[in-house]
Amino acid sequence: METSFAITGKGYTIVASDTTAARSIVKMKVDEDRIKVLSSHLLMACSGEPGDTIQFSEFVERNIRLFQIRNNYSLKPSAAAAWIRRSLAQSLRSRKPYSVNLLLGGYDTTSHRPHLYWVDYLGTMTEVPFAAHGYGSYFVLSLLDKYHDPEAPLEEGLAVLKRCMDEVAKRLIVNPSAYKIKIVDKDGVREIEL
Amino acid sequence: MARRYDSRTTIFSPEGRLYQIEYAMEAISRAGTVLGVLAKDGVVLAAEKKVTGKLLDLSGGGYGGSGEKIYLVNRNIIAGVAGITSDANSLVNSARSAAQGHLLSYDSDIPVELLAQRICNMKQGYTQYGGLRPFGVSLLYAGYDEQHQFQLYHSDPSGNYSGWKATCIGANNGTAQSLLKQEYKEDISVKDAIGLVLRTMSKTMDSTTLGSDKLEFSVLTVDEVTKEPKAKIYKPAEIDALLEKEGLAKKDDDTVMAAA
Amino acid sequence: MSRSYDRALTVFSPDGHLFQVEYAAEAVRKGTCAVGVRGKDVVILGVEKKSVLQLQDARTVRKVVMLDDHICLAFAGLTADGRVLIDKARIECQSHRLTVEDPVTVEYITRHIAGIQQRYTQSGGVRPFGISTLIIGFDPNDARPRLYQTEPSGIYSAWKANAIGRSSKTVREFLEKNHKDDLPRDQAIKLTIKSLLEVVQTGAKNIEISVMESYGKVTNLSLEEIEAIVAEIEREKEAEAERKKSRLAATAAGQAAMTTRAEEGSA
Repeated sequence: METSFAITGKGYTIVASDTTAARSIVKMKVDEDRIKVLSSHLLMACSGEPGDTIQFSEFVERNIRLFQIRNNYSLKPSAAAAWIRRSLAQSLRSRKPYSVNLLLGGYDTTSHRPHLYWVDYLGTMTEVPFAAHGYGSYFVLSLLDKYHDPEAPLEEGLAVLKRCMDEVAKRLIVNPSAYKIKIVDKDGVREIEL
Repeated sequence: MARRYDSRTTIFSPEGRLYQIEYAMEAISRAGTVLGVLAKDGVVLAAEKKVTGKLLDLSGGGYGGSGEKIYLVNRNIIAGVAGITSDANSLVNSARSAAQGHLLSYDSDIPVELLAQRICNMKQGYTQYGGLRPFGVSLLYAGYDEQHQFQLYHSDPSGNYSGWKATCIGANNGTAQSLLKQEYKEDISVKDAIGLVLRTMSKTMDSTTLGSDKLEFSVLTVDEVTKEPKAKIYKPAEIDALLEKEGLAKKDDDTVMAAA
Repeated sequence: MSRSYDRALTVFSPDGHLFQVEYAAEAVRKGTCAVGVRGKDVVILGVEKKSVLQLQDARTVRKVVMLDDHICLAFAGLTADGRVLIDKARIECQSHRLTVEDPVTVEYITRHIAGIQQRYTQSGGVRPFGISTLIIGFDPNDARPRLYQTEPSGIYSAWKANAIGRSSKTVREFLEKNHKDDLPRDQAIKLTIKSLLEVVQTGAKNIEISVMESYGKVTNLSLEEIEAIVAEIEREKEAEAERKKSRLAATAAGQAAMTTRAEEGSA
């Protein structure tokens, strides 16, 4: 039932993910943070097989950090996304592939543009203006088709996000109780409450 | 004295020196000159060809360049080599693989310093293990990346590297170096850098005349429209045309005789 | 005599020497000088920086590097060897975080680096790393500053203050004479610079100072800051010399007075 979605706007990317960790019909946890801060301007929402998500996101986190320490600068979102996609594609062809779906939100400090990448466990990657994973995506994507504006200021972006969360609450059989929301823009990453 | 410690690369001398590396550098100091100048809007690389001959066919332009000294490593990096050409071929090959490997992983051109580091780590390896001799090659890397824009690096057989505004390796590098020091100006443009490089080359090369049979030349700039790096390795005819334009072209033997 | 013993590293000479290791230490002694000083809740790395040539790009000349958020390293010896060893250490730092979810401790990474160095003194067909390193940092959840040293032989040790590289003996002797426990930040920085000035004749422009004040808080002093401290040290030295001179003059005057009186007495 995990749901995560993300939208880009004028100079920012917002990534949101529900905080419920469930197994079968049991809620195990309601404060799970699925959005990893990979670098000062890069976020990754990770859903899928619970153990895999943690293992994979930590692996990615450490490698992104290693690149930064070695080279004195962070990978651009596009380069990081390419590397992550490739890691997943390699994993898919191994004995035990990672079963994780990702949303990568970043802000490119060289070109001053927000970026969002949709990645799935098969190693598919595409850059998109808005994206979603999980059951929530069935309702959210059509909504965003209608309401998303790539030039919207942050307040409008958050309003659209709110609309998405309300729609999921209204239609999905199991309503995610809470969301973690993180924004990345020129000033870096910050977490907000809606 | 030195004899005992210079036969194997992986051996320190009692003074803590690695003779094989020093000897390799000695070989390079006699190789054809390679000269690079970093400009604000590009990098210029020129090299002196030692292997010449009337019957040498240069029309093929092997290794993506016009001959033996300047190579296209990636679309954003050109390298000039001085030293043992066969070693250089092998290094250039590794460099191209490294660049493609980076492209495969990151879907972006390899940063120039990262490429220089890769090659240097390999060179360092050959000074420490494997029981092999070091690479007898120094390289100049001229490149462009988003992080540090235009860059010029020099690497030597020990695996050291450093960044430069203008530098020179190979024969007569001392003379060229001091000429560059006098003439280099901050914020030099590519246009002026081309002139500076050609003038310096003409003063330091062993031969008195400059021509496409002795010179290799390349310029790395950024395309004004697409903002993508543009590496241009000049063809022999283009070099001659350029020399003509700069007023450094080979004088016709007959006119020289007539003047004498 | 030592002909056949100084090539293969795995072999001891009859008098128990590993010559290659000793020669590697010689390469370290040729390298630029680096100093580490531990203060009360601060630890400092100072390095002698070779002058950047007119046409060289200063960005590419690095003597102090970061291994992880909370650990810095300076080395003396062969630069290329240093780069390769640093890369191995950086990988270990991240790999350690990945496997045990904790950052490395300073001693752990020191031991790791020394371990690599040791391997290269015992494996076949390799020469030792021609570098010594000084490693500074703070352990996670610990306020005590740390300073360690590693050598080509693979020995590592903890120090209150130490120096490696060119003229390190002179600097170490200076530190032995002047180091006090629990130095506050400013005095620790001053001691570092003062000790470096023992070997660096050219002053502030050839000195680089990195200060670590707590876990992950590293600052590099600007040239102006170092210049100010160098000037202060010079002033103190002059004042000291002045005092000595006046004291000498006073004793000389006293002696002169005494002799005149004695002469008067005898007259």
